[in-house]
Amino acid sequence: MDKKFFEKFDITLFLSVTALIVIGILAIFSATQSSASASDYYLKQTTFAAIGLVMVIIVMYIPPRYISSITIYMYILSIILLILVLVFGKTINGNKSWFYISGFGIQPSEFAKVATVLAIANFFYRSNEETPKIRFKDIILSSLLVIIPVILVKLENDTGTTIVMLSFIIPMFFWANVSPFFLYGLVTPVFAAVLAFIDIRLFYLYIAVILISMFFFKRNFILSGLLIAVNIIAGYSVTFLYSKLQPYQQNRIKAVFDPSSDPLGSGYNVIQSKVAIGSGGIFGKGYLQGSQTQLKFIPEQWTDFIYCMIGEEFGLIGAVLIIILYLIIIYRFLNNAYLSKNSFLSLACIGFASLFFFHMFINIGMTIGITPVIGIPLPLMSNGVSSLLSFLLMVGIGMNTYRNKDIFI
Amino acid sequence: MSREFKIYFALSIVVFITVILIARLIQLQVVEQKDYGKESERNSIKKITETPARGLIIDRNGKIIVDNRPSYTLTVTPFQFNKNLIPEVAILAGLDTSYVRESLAKAKGTNRFNPVKIKRDIDFKTVSYIEENRERLNGVNYQVESLRNYPNKFSGAHIFGYNAEISEKQLNDSSEDYYRQGDLIGTAGLEKYYEKYLRGEKGSKLISVDVNGREVGPYNDGNNDIKSINGTDLFTSIDSDLQEYAEKLMGKKRGAIIAIDPATGEILCLVSKPDYDLNYFSGTPDFKEISKLFSDPEKPLFNRVTQTRYPPGSTWKMMMALAALASGKITTTSTVSCPGSFTYGNRTFEDHGSYGSINVVRAIEVSSNVFFYKMGLLLGIDNYHNYSELFGFGMRTGIDLPSETRGLLPSQEYFDKVYGKNKWTQGLLVSLGIGQGELGVSPVQMVAYTSAICMNGLYITPHLVRKIYNSSTNQEYPVNFTKKQIDLPVKYFESVKRGMYLVVNGSGTARNIKNSDYILSGKTGTAQNPGGNNHSWFVGFAPFDNPRIAICVLGENAGWGAQFAAPLAAALMVRYLSGNTIDSYNENASTEVYD
Repeated sequence: MDKKFFEKFDITLFLSVTALIVIGILAIFSATQSSASASDYYLKQTTFAAIGLVMVIIVMYIPPRYISSITIYMYILSIILLILVLVFGKTINGNKSWFYISGFGIQPSEFAKVATVLAIANFFYRSNEETPKIRFKDIILSSLLVIIPVILVKLENDTGTTIVMLSFIIPMFFWANVSPFFLYGLVTPVFAAVLAFIDIRLFYLYIAVILISMFFFKRNFILSGLLIAVNIIAGYSVTFLYSKLQPYQQNRIKAVFDPSSDPLGSGYNVIQSKVAIGSGGIFGKGYLQGSQTQLKFIPEQWTDFIYCMIGEEFGLIGAVLIIILYLIIIYRFLNNAYLSKNSFLSLACIGFASLFFFHMFINIGMTIGITPVIGIPLPLMSNGVSSLLSFLLMVGIGMNTYRNKDIFI
Repeated sequence: MSREFKIYFALSIVVFITVILIARLIQLQVVEQKDYGKESERNSIKKITETPARGLIIDRNGKIIVDNRPSYTLTVTPFQFNKNLIPEVAILAGLDTSYVRESLAKAKGTNRFNPVKIKRDIDFKTVSYIEENRERLNGVNYQVESLRNYPNKFSGAHIFGYNAEISEKQLNDSSEDYYRQGDLIGTAGLEKYYEKYLRGEKGSKLISVDVNGREVGPYNDGNNDIKSINGTDLFTSIDSDLQEYAEKLMGKKRGAIIAIDPATGEILCLVSKPDYDLNYFSGTPDFKEISKLFSDPEKPLFNRVTQTRYPPGSTWKMMMALAALASGKITTTSTVSCPGSFTYGNRTFEDHGSYGSINVVRAIEVSSNVFFYKMGLLLGIDNYHNYSELFGFGMRTGIDLPSETRGLLPSQEYFDKVYGKNKWTQGLLVSLGIGQGELGVSPVQMVAYTSAICMNGLYITPHLVRKIYNSSTNQEYPVNFTKKQIDLPVKYFESVKRGMYLVVNGSGTARNIKNSDYILSGKTGTAQNPGGNNHSWFVGFAPFDNPRIAICVLGENAGWGAQFAAPLAAALMVRYLSGNTIDSYNENASTEVYD
């Protein structure tokens, strides 16, 4: 094909995505081949991957102006679906986030991730047309766009997706030129709370670091003081609230940070998945040869714990290859965001990059025991139609951004 | 900040995290690979759930009346199991292959290395066969489980209830994440009501298994194991001897008996007949017998003491007397003319005798219908409803058994709803005055009411359990039941009790049960039953001056109160008071008196 084609077609993104999907399907096949109930999952995944890739191409050719104009409807639709699933949904693994339509499980929350990112991008794009300056009002209204789905997803008891929903707002604010000092004030208390929870001494150290960092921002005394106060309050209130919880609630939270404290619940999967990945070594045990995964010691190994299959059967080489593919995808989203002259798509790409990054980090981190066990899928690889199509929709818009990088709308 | 700077900032975070992930992978897969490799060869982990023994049920004298016996349960672990073995498993378990297949199919979608229970209570021969053929019978195993055992001479079916495998619906509805498919759950009686206490807390063990699924020892020296906590014991107030005697007396008849200690509300015996053999449900459920129980027109699974409502007949007359006295419609000395019948509107209501002008005490003694027809009318629906409610009618007593009925106590709103506003007349109150008509009471309500009368208004919820205590954790749980004083003048209770005394010891309807050793008192009742023969009622208490037992006996379609219920109640009261030795019941004793 001629050079001109590749100026419009993000071949790197497309090939990386396809590679991940193919490896994902191979892994699902391996994970389910000896299972009676799940042995045809790979076929379903393959079918929807094909449909999804066609969708990517179609989405790539939709005029950006048109995407912008339907964004609000997508957002409203996704909110309605989230409400409907709360009322009529089916509970699986404790989450009431599923619709069942003739045997197909559909999770509206996956779709809501994409819709929310687009809604925020579109919001800043529109308000930018009024005035390029970011007003306080803009921050409040755009936060509201996130908070509504966050509350609905939390009501579904889907903690993983709730946290995911909160992960892209800061990077998007950052890209939308919201004051870095403000973002700093938004992000640091979260870390303060986590550190205070882990060890109060870490928290004191952290406050000292925050104090020093204030010199770099050179803000006035009141604002700096306010930021430090917010951090201190966040730290202390977490320890205070924690002490007020019932012991069983405390245990549940503890298990998120320290799976070994709950060896029969979430910790069980982590123990098993570490053994599976660790025993894979550098070259792996070979495709379909993983004793851990083939013996089904890991529940959900075709969804949230799919990375175990890779780690055990393809070893370090396979495991790192996957991470590199994600790195390339995230890089392409950032690159397209940077190149694009269209602020709507550019901002959306930042949101999607955050989603890919956050999912990858938490999911892989969870299987190797360094991040909390919250049930979120590995993008493009975990078995599941809703998740696969949602991420491919992001890819489609990412490709669209590249194609239309020189066009203002 | 420039766009370029922002992109580099973002990229550096991403790369930083990626480096951490890769470093961790290298740690696991290169540095510690040997340890994990070994572990994966030998030490795959298997989780075994330990189900604790259910709590014991103990009678008022400390005798164990429900305990557990060890048994073997045949299990199949799907992830090791080869489907070709299904026919052999079916033969081992003595089940159809389709049943085994179904059980395995039901477990689909759950954790595949959790053993699926195929059959409970297999014999030792089967266990040895599994042991001998362990190599070949991959995935087939057995678990030691404890099953319910009833070391009694009585049945107690409606007290204890039974455990059954949890249903899919119960699994889905359960708000806590505790039960698994195949678990037993209390499904009736005390087993159901006190399920949370009786079941204990499951524990679990992590066991290392090799690649072939063979167990090689505890994982991590058992440090991650959770010990199961044995079920909590129920100390009931059941008097085993009285219970046995009561069941014997009721025999094959249909009916209900409940006796309580009036001072505490503790239930001494509780019988509902026909009942069923609890052993049908323990071990491998006997599905043939069970489905028979469910379709039996006599409804043996129904607890007639708590779940059924009947018209109380003449046993209701004390209620009317108290209501009429309390509302000031009559005094203890007022007399009412009681000819042999009573005409209201164009209907005539019969009585079984003509008594002249009588007071309330005499009215109870002879069970005059006319007197109480008039009381019903005098009271009016509001008084009727409100005073009866004071004695717990129309509401659950709160007995510690599941699915209790409220009975039916009519009110103004009730009649307005059924007949329409102003479409009904006070005439309904005539029959209601003698405990007929749209009035439904359960035997447990009746015994609570009788007990409250003999205690001058002290109303206590009848209950089976007096103490909940876990011997392995040494924890005692509180037992709380309603105890209230019904605030009516003592002299009203005295008059009513006087009437009940005379029923037995005067010229009353139950003079056939007069006892020379103990002063029994009570009231007979014969409830007309449009569907068949009359129901026979007796409520009573003894000894008269210092009541130690209050009782309610109901015989379905058993005729007059004095014919069936009264002699039976008398025999039980005497048996209890005399220290469980006398068998004074004579089924064929002559009963010339009538109600």
